[in-house]
Amino acid sequence: MNATIFVLTIRQLLGRRRALLMAAFGLLPIAAAVIFRMSSPDVDTQRWTVMVLLNGLVVTTLLPLVALVFGTSAMGGEIEDGTAVYLLSKPVPRWQVVTAKLLAAWLATSLLVGLSTVISGVIAMNGTPQDGIVSGFAIAMVLGALVYTALFVLLSIVTSRALIGGLIYVFFWESVVTTIFAGTKIFSVRQYTLGVARLISTASAKTFEARLDGNEALWLMAGVSLLAIFLAVRQLQRFEIGEST
Amino acid sequence: MTTTEATPASSQPASPARPTMEVINVSRWYGNVVAINDISFALGPGITGLLGPNGAGKSTLLHMLSGFLEPSNGRVEMFGQPVWRNPALYRQFGLVPEREAVYPFLTGYEFVLLSARLHGLADPKAAANRAVHEVDLQDAQHRAAGGYSKGMKQRLKVAAAIVHDPPVLLLDEPFNGADPRQRLHLMDMLRRMSAEGRTILFSSHILEEVERLAENVLVIVSGRLAASGNFHEIRKLMIDRPHTFRLRSSDNRRLAAALIAEESVFGVELEGERLSIQTADFGRFALAAPRVAKDSGVTLLEFVPTDESLESVFSYLVGR
Repeated sequence: MNATIFVLTIRQLLGRRRALLMAAFGLLPIAAAVIFRMSSPDVDTQRWTVMVLLNGLVVTTLLPLVALVFGTSAMGGEIEDGTAVYLLSKPVPRWQVVTAKLLAAWLATSLLVGLSTVISGVIAMNGTPQDGIVSGFAIAMVLGALVYTALFVLLSIVTSRALIGGLIYVFFWESVVTTIFAGTKIFSVRQYTLGVARLISTASAKTFEARLDGNEALWLMAGVSLLAIFLAVRQLQRFEIGEST
Repeated sequence: MTTTEATPASSQPASPARPTMEVINVSRWYGNVVAINDISFALGPGITGLLGPNGAGKSTLLHMLSGFLEPSNGRVEMFGQPVWRNPALYRQFGLVPEREAVYPFLTGYEFVLLSARLHGLADPKAAANRAVHEVDLQDAQHRAAGGYSKGMKQRLKVAAAIVHDPPVLLLDEPFNGADPRQRLHLMDMLRRMSAEGRTILFSSHILEEVERLAENVLVIVSGRLAASGNFHEIRKLMIDRPHTFRLRSSDNRRLAAALIAEESVFGVELEGERLSIQTADFGRFALAAPRVAKDSGVTLLEFVPTDESLESVFSYLVGR
């Protein structure tokens, strides 16, 4: 990892407009939790927190979208802006460039989504036994953020249409295909995240079920992340900057 | 460049005693489009201008020399090592890209410091300060680079490229956007660096820029090396080429008959309502034509040199 590139990328990712937009995204689950508490509906608080707030809002929407924005901006933004040339014309091994970019995107995503998960979860479950739900989802979210950002960093090096590719993956593959075809769950980061959350949480199966076994999900997370990093480094070693880039 | 012979349309490598850079039978194509076609040359210390019209392949060639494009054929070497997929070689050269992009949120000083740190210099702050002063950017160094003018960004990119004091400098259209004072300053700096024994290659599509700075040139047209060597030799080839003028007058036939007797004219053609005149001496014919017309009692209505664009000069060199 190259500390100079890491710090540069953090400054890029947390640029004023992007940071404000992402922070607004992060506030949505918190706002939902506050409204839930204020309205005191007659529903199972644990189940609502898991199924609506953490699964429905955070895992399904917030986590992939934030990871998509940070993951594709970290390297793809530089390629698109034409600043990548300043990094790639230096005697820095390509693996250091990729890992610095990935760590910055991962940290930014984890902080935002993790904080949003913990704060909204605690508010929603105030006075209700947590059974490891909030901590389970928070840890799973951090691990899920690693897989998503690794994939999106890779995607941004492979194609200039990484954002569209990422949106198709999140909203078509993960939301539609893995729902219809059960066998495709092993290619869904969302299912990995839910599997790990289930592994840590002690809540009953009635409250919360995952389609992937927790240990299996952990192995898949590690394998997919490592593969994505390996391919990203390999792709960046062969990356060409022509007149159009 | 240490080639001493002006060689129009050369495709053979020149062989300086100790070349810094070597391009050996290099071609590059994108799909069916050939951007660079079997180019060979070698460069040593000094300033070399890479000259050619827009779209000739200058940037593609510079990108291959910078290790950013893989040659489809042939080899590009610097200090005897392949440039492609060899990041360690960036210690040996600095690159000034054509694109204006800089990190807008960094100050000028931070931008140069970033470059120094990425080069792993022992004292990056001192190196950044030196480079900022070298390009005369100290007054604006603490302002965000996003607010710089085009000329200031050019200087900033040069500062970042020279921060590690490289023996080789590659610059893609470095004078774009620079005002005359900045241009002169940059030229002086490059001359000084050249006098220190560095190898400098810069691209330009402006003949006068190259004329003022480079001792040697590489002329590239349509992806081919049209000429390489001493600038003045090549300039002479350009000046001596035939020129074409288009004329319209009150009596084209009478004027054609009178002009054909002129020593500087070697071709006259009647094209509809116009005359096409070919001459070997641009200046002499430009003076003679009005005189001949007046002596013949013909009124000149139009008098236009048709091929003075840089492209036509290059086309001539390629065609030789």
